[in-house]
Amino acid sequence: MLLRILDRLEETIIASLMGAATLITFVAVVHRYLVDVPVLYPYLFGINLAWSQELCIYMFIWMAKFGAAYGVRVGIHVGVDVLINRLNDSWRKGVILFGLLGGALFTAIVGTMGAKFVIELMHTDQVSPDLELPSWLVYACIPLGSYLMCFRFLQVCWTYVWTDQLPHHDATHVDDIEVSAKAPIALGEA
Amino acid sequence: MSPALIFGLLFALMLTGMPISISLGLTVLTFLFTMTEVPIESVGLKLFSGLDNFGIMAIPFFILAGTFLTRGGVARRMIAFTTSLVGHLPGGLGLAGVAACAMFAAISGSSVATVVAIGSIMLPAMVEHGYPRRFGVGVISTSGALGILVPPSIILVLYGVSTNTSIGALFMAGIVPGVVLALMLAAVTWFVAWRNGYPKMPKASLAQQFKAFRESLWGLLLIGIVLGGIYGGVFTPTEAAAVAAVYAFFITVFVYKELKLAEVPKVLLQAASMSSMLLYIITNAVLFSFLMTHEQIPQAMAAWIIDKHFSIWMFLLVVNIILLLAGNVMDPSSILLIMAPILFPLATKLGVHPVHLGVLMIVNTEVGLCHPPVGLNLYIASSIAKMGISEITIAVLPWLLAMLVFLGMITYIPEISLWLPRLLGMI
Repeated sequence: MLLRILDRLEETIIASLMGAATLITFVAVVHRYLVDVPVLYPYLFGINLAWSQELCIYMFIWMAKFGAAYGVRVGIHVGVDVLINRLNDSWRKGVILFGLLGGALFTAIVGTMGAKFVIELMHTDQVSPDLELPSWLVYACIPLGSYLMCFRFLQVCWTYVWTDQLPHHDATHVDDIEVSAKAPIALGEA
Repeated sequence: MSPALIFGLLFALMLTGMPISISLGLTVLTFLFTMTEVPIESVGLKLFSGLDNFGIMAIPFFILAGTFLTRGGVARRMIAFTTSLVGHLPGGLGLAGVAACAMFAAISGSSVATVVAIGSIMLPAMVEHGYPRRFGVGVISTSGALGILVPPSIILVLYGVSTNTSIGALFMAGIVPGVVLALMLAAVTWFVAWRNGYPKMPKASLAQQFKAFRESLWGLLLIGIVLGGIYGGVFTPTEAAAVAAVYAFFITVFVYKELKLAEVPKVLLQAASMSSMLLYIITNAVLFSFLMTHEQIPQAMAAWIIDKHFSIWMFLLVVNIILLLAGNVMDPSSILLIMAPILFPLATKLGVHPVHLGVLMIVNTEVGLCHPPVGLNLYIASSIAKMGISEITIAVLPWLLAMLVFLGMITYIPEISLWLPRLLGMI
């Protein structure tokens, strides 16, 4: 139950950040041009959107950190599987587990480094340049996102040990068309 | 000594199948903990500052625009338009497929989106009209690669960001090569169809052509918004991408009504997860290039190359071989993020223009998209056409050969890439 809430929360956060960042950047561009229209000038001049660029960057960084965790859950991260596809089953399982635990190790280390960094920042009065948000709040996405990602790696690992099932993102899935062959790896949007 | 160790560890980790981003990160951590005296704390900061760049943010926006556009509508109307133009020639639907891919590539930044959008409509149509499956798959999976060459292109943005090259100039540099490659692929298509006597479509009247043009106008306008906007200085590439995403949302939901408002969150989630995956590789690639710079590896390689009196000719040949080999194990964005920071300093030392190197790298990764084992375009085409991978591998050969010839031209005739941006005064 708790996990289901976490899953939904994760999806809602990254989808809304994506939508919000797009809207904000779009509005800032439109505003920049409409402000030159004489009729609208008195209404729009007072609105300063100089912070939109910074906000957009922060939103996307937050999205990237949580989205990376979501990506582990749905198996979207790109890997090289040319070799492991040729191994026999028991070796294959061992190597895949090694890879997953490596992911958990990396994210745990990064999360801890990020947490230390954020705690140090909490003792300072540093703020971000345009929005003047406290820096520790902005950087908090590193520990939060990394620990969540670590948890997702362990979760995938646990499922794999017991059921031999890995999340598999099917990049070749096409809407309304039945898919017969599967790509050996889930590749990036390129 | 340490370059061999760094790359050895990276490749060993990558071969275990762990995500490329994690392999990069673990390699960096291993070296920071054991070999160097870089303060570990700076790594935490790098994980954030690596993405703290408005230029990078063009990537999620272009991905979002592409995700909307892949939902049909735009692609279908573009196909109808190109079919009305060239359908009556030998191999008509194949030629229309190449043209539609080139057109769609000009509004989407990814070749996956291009193959999915055009292929899912064009391949069934070709089979229905009596073309062999392997012909259709050969045309679409290679033409789809135009998606990352013709601007806007996510991969060109990655190159621009990781080497500090003007994204606007890179976009303009992609236009002429994109047109040349489209023409070459069309020539192969025409030749294969003519030799085998594949069916032609009835010739469309002028009125029909105009109607098809008017219906696809909404999609075509996007080309003007993005390229015109960037070239005309109306917006930065990132802003153009955001405008493109909003525009794509608008035409898919309100004009063509291919998507219900309630389905928008699903599209957002899909685009967000794809973007996060790429941004996560970028973060770790920034860490990796930080390690490379700290160990002065590109500088050492540059000194070695100068010392051995490598000619540009030799250097470019070696670059091509390395990139084609990398195309056998990695996807375009990973290749670019790992190799660009290494190759860039070497190339500039030898006098290769940064924009030329960028286009050259893109074309190399394009070839990798069209052959196994990781040719994603092939896998998408195979799942649409329900054909086995080994059969498809043979089916794409004529077009793949054309792409290799094209790669040679791009490598040794820099003017193909540099002419337009130079004419426009961007480089």
